[in-house]
Amino acid sequence: MRAGQRLLWFAVALVVLQVLVAGFAEWVAPYDPVAQDIMARMKGPTAAHWLGTDQFGRDVLSRIIHGSRTSLFVSALAVGVALVAGGTLGLVAAYYRGWTDRIVMRAMDVLFAFPVMLLAIGVVAVLGPRQETAAVAIAVVYTPIFARLLRGPALVICESDYVTGARAAGATDGRIIFLHVLPNLASVVLVQTSLLLSAAILVEASLSFLGLGTQPPTPSLGLMLSEGRNFLMLAPRPAVFSGVAILLLAFGLNLLGDALRDTLDPRLRGGH
Amino acid sequence: MLRRLLVARLVDLAVVLAAVSVIVFAMIRLIPGDAVAIMLGANTEVTPAAIAALRAQIGLDQPIYVQYFGWMSKVLQGDLGISLWTGKPVAGEILVHVWPTVQLTVLALVLGAGLAVPAGCLMARWRGGAADAAMRVATVAGLTIPSFWLGIVMILVLATVAPSLQLLGYVPFSVDPVGNITRLALPAFALGLPILANLSRLVRSAMLDALGQDYIRTARAKGVPERSVVYRHALRNALIPFVTSVGIMTGYLLGGAIVVEQVFAIPGLGRLILGAIAERNYPLLQATILMVTLGFVVVNFVVDLLYLAIDPRVRA
Amino acid sequence: MARLSFRAMLLAGVLASGVASAPVAWGQVLEVAVDASPVGLDPHRATAFSTFQMINGTIYEGLTAIDKDLRVRPGLAESWTVSADGKTYTFKLRSGMTFHDGSKVEAADVVATINRVLSKEIASPLASRLATLDKAEAPDAGTAVLTLKEPTAPLLASVATIAIVPRSMEMEKDALQRAPIGTGPFKFKEWQANGFVALEKHAGYWRAGAPKLDGIKFNIVPESATRQVGLSSGQYAMLPNIDAATAMQLKGRPGVKLAETLELAYMFVGVNASKPPFNDARVRQAVNYALNRQEVIAAALFGAGVPGGPLSPALKDWATPVDQFACYKTDPARAQALLKEAGYTAPVAITINVLPRQDIRDMAQVVQAQLNKAGFKVELKNQELGQFIQDWRNSNFDMFASTNAGSPDPDDYFFRTFRTGGSTNVFKYSDTTLDGLLDGARTLQDQAARKAAYDKAQAILACDGPIMHIAYGQLFTAMRANVGGFEIIANRSLSTLADTAVAK
Repeated sequence: MRAGQRLLWFAVALVVLQVLVAGFAEWVAPYDPVAQDIMARMKGPTAAHWLGTDQFGRDVLSRIIHGSRTSLFVSALAVGVALVAGGTLGLVAAYYRGWTDRIVMRAMDVLFAFPVMLLAIGVVAVLGPRQETAAVAIAVVYTPIFARLLRGPALVICESDYVTGARAAGATDGRIIFLHVLPNLASVVLVQTSLLLSAAILVEASLSFLGLGTQPPTPSLGLMLSEGRNFLMLAPRPAVFSGVAILLLAFGLNLLGDALRDTLDPRLRGGH
Repeated sequence: MLRRLLVARLVDLAVVLAAVSVIVFAMIRLIPGDAVAIMLGANTEVTPAAIAALRAQIGLDQPIYVQYFGWMSKVLQGDLGISLWTGKPVAGEILVHVWPTVQLTVLALVLGAGLAVPAGCLMARWRGGAADAAMRVATVAGLTIPSFWLGIVMILVLATVAPSLQLLGYVPFSVDPVGNITRLALPAFALGLPILANLSRLVRSAMLDALGQDYIRTARAKGVPERSVVYRHALRNALIPFVTSVGIMTGYLLGGAIVVEQVFAIPGLGRLILGAIAERNYPLLQATILMVTLGFVVVNFVVDLLYLAIDPRVRA
Repeated sequence: MARLSFRAMLLAGVLASGVASAPVAWGQVLEVAVDASPVGLDPHRATAFSTFQMINGTIYEGLTAIDKDLRVRPGLAESWTVSADGKTYTFKLRSGMTFHDGSKVEAADVVATINRVLSKEIASPLASRLATLDKAEAPDAGTAVLTLKEPTAPLLASVATIAIVPRSMEMEKDALQRAPIGTGPFKFKEWQANGFVALEKHAGYWRAGAPKLDGIKFNIVPESATRQVGLSSGQYAMLPNIDAATAMQLKGRPGVKLAETLELAYMFVGVNASKPPFNDARVRQAVNYALNRQEVIAAALFGAGVPGGPLSPALKDWATPVDQFACYKTDPARAQALLKEAGYTAPVAITINVLPRQDIRDMAQVVQAQLNKAGFKVELKNQELGQFIQDWRNSNFDMFASTNAGSPDPDDYFFRTFRTGGSTNVFKYSDTTLDGLLDGARTLQDQAARKAAYDKAQAILACDGPIMHIAYGQLFTAMRANVGGFEIIANRSLSTLADTAVAK
């Protein structure tokens, strides 16, 4: 097996493991993540609490497991919405060309003109800091990325003989886009989705860290980090471990996207 | 041909900026809670009359479109307005805050780009081996480390290892050049790490590409020293993807700076923006976001042009 | 070679900055780190706490002052007399005082200041503290006379918070916000937004021997960990008015000492008494029975605080001990019974708006868990400050978790907060017995009679009132060990910086 492929399988294993743990958080986590035990607050690691407890005596490990789910859920929701919205816009622009293309892509340019965090902060400020609005904010930020990403290759495919042929044979626009254009973009979408999911994990964490994302007492990794830093010198574990968890989530997804790109896109294989 | 393309791009740019200004303006007014409430505080005797008087004074009692056109006409004349709290011109406030951020981002970029060249070269040399794979995993980790977390952990370590070092906050370069650099070193590192990771991979693949090309082989065969082969020929090849990344990186740096400035107490644009949101300082906030976005758009525009200049194939 | 020397330079720089942290000498600039920017420096317009701690007693002073034991003492007025009917206050000003702009402080400035506070144009939130004022006059340059419409016992405490400014500022709306002029020991030097506010010594200060420092620099450092590391390294000399979480982390660090006092401010949850479910006194009692105040103190205040009733235990002359309030004994079963009695079936769904401050957020999470065990179903709404204040002002809440500054005089707090139609009665609370008590107590001059009235008021408010007072925290100021002369004051004023010095 080539090194690249080993890396791919490693990434897949890491992501699947994380998704399983997060998805079955209720069964995996040893404790209720919001159950307080104030008399046992800020304790170090013990056999009962592997990563210790936080300032309310809540189990840090359980909060990290549930927090991972929150992070993955918000990021997946955001990237999913962005993929559908941005992808549709990009395909429509590429297929119809002309004014449709111009208007759609200018609108995307406007959104793209804002630095990611700035736009996300703005959207959250308007909608109010909540888990769902953080997802909306990230979706808004990523929509133009998918639109741009899909428009380019879609333009090339739309020019190709089999699309022209299908059109001549009288296939409807929707049929052509979904049956002929979209499948050819699968590898690009797969790679980019994975990379953006990784980035979304970080944006969600940043928003929660700034108090603009998930709200207490719901466990969230960015929020744990933000709360934990207030007593960093007394009990560094909640802040340090939640940061490690964020890193691992983003790392797995990024590595996956990276390895997928190597495997699926021969042009980028470069020097191998 | 090139000129027509340039004009078209400039028109697009103007349209985008106009739309951006409307969005910024509307977005800020849509943020719930207003400046007056913040100024008076939750803990005082606030009467409706006091609130109305303050609102009128700030101009919040006018219809929103009147406020927008009033603002825009002034902006186009170069007047960005007056900050609600300090009463100083907004332009001056932005100028004061722009330097720390520019310094921080440039330092991060220099740090990242500077270290990326040797790192990338090493990775290219070790290609295929376990060391290459390890470096690759390390670069992915570098890309995905949350910079604010890294900052906090560095502060924690610092406080334990060397409690007497003064590496926090900001002193202007003109006041204390050494202090300025030492204080920006940690945040620049936290901010620059993902750039280092990103660029070193670029350098690696560009090197591998280039080293396989005919002219490199020719150069080698001619007895040109290995070091010269690498630096003269192969690195030049990495320029195009590098330039492309700069635009993306500017956006990243700015976003990252917002959070890192908060952690390291650097009075830059990020602090200015977060502070202005918190206190609903409308004139300051809308002008700052507009200017930052303008800067970002212009950087991307220049990158586009550079790209055209470097690689004529893109023009097609 | 070149690279090597650069590295050496960097290293030298690091070492040099390490050495630079040696203790500072007498009469230097005190580096203070605070968490938030002021919202302006006009003492009559910017009343938020971030402004108060920077200007009160440093830049500005009032006719009277509040000392570290929260008692009224002379300020700009060296003495005063009160007429027999309690309606006329005559203040005698000290002689030889100057403002920071060099002009003399005279009674005309006092009158102009009071007019400024009361003017519609300035729209000062402090105006309500002078609600009973009839007129202010200056019979001569050294005498100011305040005439009231009715006797107002807390007037002397109230005027301590009215900063005297030059008469030229009476009509000036914006000037003081960015360039304050007062009479205090320090004058304004520079404000760099998000960077610092710098004050320097006022050479013409009226009190001999003060100030000892050459200046104060309030560095604005939002990140708590950064402030802590800065104090440990000696970069900052003082972190004023910090919470217990920060203080506990600094305790015992070399070169750092802590000053502490019981806070006048308190943490509480307040309810909307004008709509269900909290319009029923039994439901309000149920909340009290559901609360476990000690747990809140452990989690949110790191144990550094005491449970409190309507008045701070720091006000020893006034406060009723909490063991006399029946509803302060935690009893979730009793809470559930009260809810049932009031006609509610558990769980009663309510939302708590939460002030965005860490200790309040922590408190809210504990309160949520406690109420959920006693028949409520609580949703937390963590709001951004602007939104929180707006909802607070418009009584747009079921319940909210917050903190109040507290006041040295019971009337000042009770009347505006709990009197029907009081200026900060956002709870829309109305109780005729209480109104009668408060109205009556205002006009009493006799201390024992006032105390009797406020004892009754506390008994009503503790269990049935719209505010569930939870805890009074310990307030801390952390400083370098060589900082001397600073006294912490429960109302968070930093006025004792006038007597602070830094030893070698």
